[in-house]
Amino acid sequence: MKSREQEYREIFMAEALEYYDAMSRHISELEKAPTDEPALNELFRLMHNLKSNARAMGYNQIGEVAHHMETIFGLIRSKERIFTGSLVPVLFTGVDTLGNMIRAVGDEQETETVDGVEELLNNLDRLVKGEEPVLPDAAAVDDDANRKLELSDLVYIQIKKLDHLLNLVGELIIDRDRILTLSQEIGSPALQATAAHLFRISDELQYSVMDARLVNVGSLFNKFPRVVRDVATAEQKEVELTLVGQDIQIDRNILQIITDSLLHLVRNAIGHGIEQPTERLKAGKPAVGQLTMSAQTERDDVLIHVADDGRGINIASVRRKAVERGLVSKEVAASLDDAAVRAYLFEPGFSMAQQVTEISGRGVGLDVVKLAIDSLGGQLRVDSTLGQGTTFTLVLPTSIAVKGALLFELDERSYAIPLMHTDSVVSLWPEQLHIVGGTLLADLQEERVPVVSLRRLLHNGDGPLVPVQRADVVGRQDIIVVNYNNRKLGLIVDRFLRQQAIVIKPMSKPLDTIDLFGGVTLLGSGQVCLVLDVPALTRLFLAKRP
Amino acid sequence: MPESEGASGKKVSKQEPIIQLIVFRLGEEEYGIRIEQVKEVTITPEVARMPKTPGFVKGIANLRGDIIAIIDLEERFNLRPSDEPLPSVSYTLAIEAKDYTIGIVVREVPQPLSIPISIIEKAPEFIQDINIQDKYIEGIAKVEGRIIVVLDMLKLLTPSEIMQLQPK
Repeated sequence: MKSREQEYREIFMAEALEYYDAMSRHISELEKAPTDEPALNELFRLMHNLKSNARAMGYNQIGEVAHHMETIFGLIRSKERIFTGSLVPVLFTGVDTLGNMIRAVGDEQETETVDGVEELLNNLDRLVKGEEPVLPDAAAVDDDANRKLELSDLVYIQIKKLDHLLNLVGELIIDRDRILTLSQEIGSPALQATAAHLFRISDELQYSVMDARLVNVGSLFNKFPRVVRDVATAEQKEVELTLVGQDIQIDRNILQIITDSLLHLVRNAIGHGIEQPTERLKAGKPAVGQLTMSAQTERDDVLIHVADDGRGINIASVRRKAVERGLVSKEVAASLDDAAVRAYLFEPGFSMAQQVTEISGRGVGLDVVKLAIDSLGGQLRVDSTLGQGTTFTLVLPTSIAVKGALLFELDERSYAIPLMHTDSVVSLWPEQLHIVGGTLLADLQEERVPVVSLRRLLHNGDGPLVPVQRADVVGRQDIIVVNYNNRKLGLIVDRFLRQQAIVIKPMSKPLDTIDLFGGVTLLGSGQVCLVLDVPALTRLFLAKRP
Repeated sequence: MPESEGASGKKVSKQEPIIQLIVFRLGEEEYGIRIEQVKEVTITPEVARMPKTPGFVKGIANLRGDIIAIIDLEERFNLRPSDEPLPSVSYTLAIEAKDYTIGIVVREVPQPLSIPISIIEKAPEFIQDINIQDKYIEGIAKVEGRIIVVLDMLKLLTPSEIMQLQPK
């Protein structure tokens, strides 16, 4: 495994060599047509980019040369200098020297080992001041005949191709599991050894393909300083953005899917969370609001926080609003804790325009954010202290291909539930379950969790669920507690099987209209296993409970 | 529809275009599908029942790595009492619909049959009207005393047609 440092250097190298090639091309064009506007602009841009990249990587000498070159090209562009005479060889030497220094970096040598940098910088300085450069003897310069040609170590690849590769690996893993099971059934040692080898190889292949799809969270985060500036200006607010954990890695497609969500959360935080400077000063806060976007890894997940130090969410308003909209009865609403109340913010269309000011504007389109995160099998959480700020947390899988899942049995068939949505697994006896209003309730760690028989829930018709009778609950009940949007729900299943990493295939048409199932997976036995979608299951329970 | 007036009743000439059908039994009748609409015929793999789907959707099955829906047309068209279980060995026709594959379960081994296209007669209007759905009966072929109803599966297997009973 390469270190992060080395990986960055390889990326720098690849880009820098590409810049160098383009510079060589454009400067040759410029020699033929000294006033060629596009070539000049390109050279200026390339120098600028190389300068920024080199400085970011700490290759200050490259940055210095590129900076000087950029200045000269700037002067040529603004017609203060002309690309002619003694200026031409100096600039060609400049491009060559940059190439040498970039190669020195590639060979893990100090850029100081490259000859002629001092003279070059002095000459460039002279050109800027309008003096004649000091040129060495023409004979000594030209060793161009034995110049080396390089190809980049990096290839750009369409994400579509990686998607295809990942799908193929997913298929391979399924077949591999099948072969492994078969080899054990057949019991041939040679076959078993081959299957075990296949197992290792395909594991590594899967890991490599997943690794190839990882990008830095920073590639998205770094677009936000500009967004924050623009939104803050439009809202007449002062906001300082802090980015943390840009080098955390995540699947490129996951990053793509959460782009709009992050944009939304950031706009919300500035528009509705952070107060006007005068209001902040009155509340005893500094005039400049703090917005932090951070990423961190936690086990196999990536956590992304968007935190502001604004006015926070008014729980009382949200509670009132939830009752007004008929989402919950007044009595129940009063008994809900803050986290449960905040969960209502993610209900579709919870916050309408006229309510924006009342509940600090949170909730505008938050359901859309929620849906995007759901589609990834992730979680969205919100935490807030009135007057002190709000933090949104996105819990995301690192990779979309493989998910941890809990396998269980119902009516002699295997089903899976993604671990992301599983809270705990308990076995309870009838006396540990209460019946309240036709619904089973379990006391789990000081919390009352509704429990439903998954069989009943799945095979119930269109009407509401039949209220549970005491006589229905016989013997030990194996319960999987799932958690979605801060709502816990216990599902009674026939038998727990095991925990397993599964490759989820999307449901094929025309059955993809049934949202209860997030997809299917094939078990090693070849059996088809339905993967339950916890958000849809929770919604079904809420809609059908007696 | 092919021009059938000229050919019907006459001896079929050798140049007549021949079509191949896969013929199977549903209820008491024989039905045929053009072979190009059939991807493969196989012994029905293990089917996982899928909750929240209409009864005639038997479930989903793994067909060479593709997860496909398996439907029972006998149940769909009430050609047999729905409580009668399928035999232990049944056959599945994998049909290529427009953008997905779907399996149709039948009780007996389907047979290929080549017939001249001209002997397919347009189905009488009243048959079409009985079934409210789109005109998925392409025609009726009479072959040596057998009557084969030729179905256009692509019209029969639109997603809205299959899922029309899906509870909302």
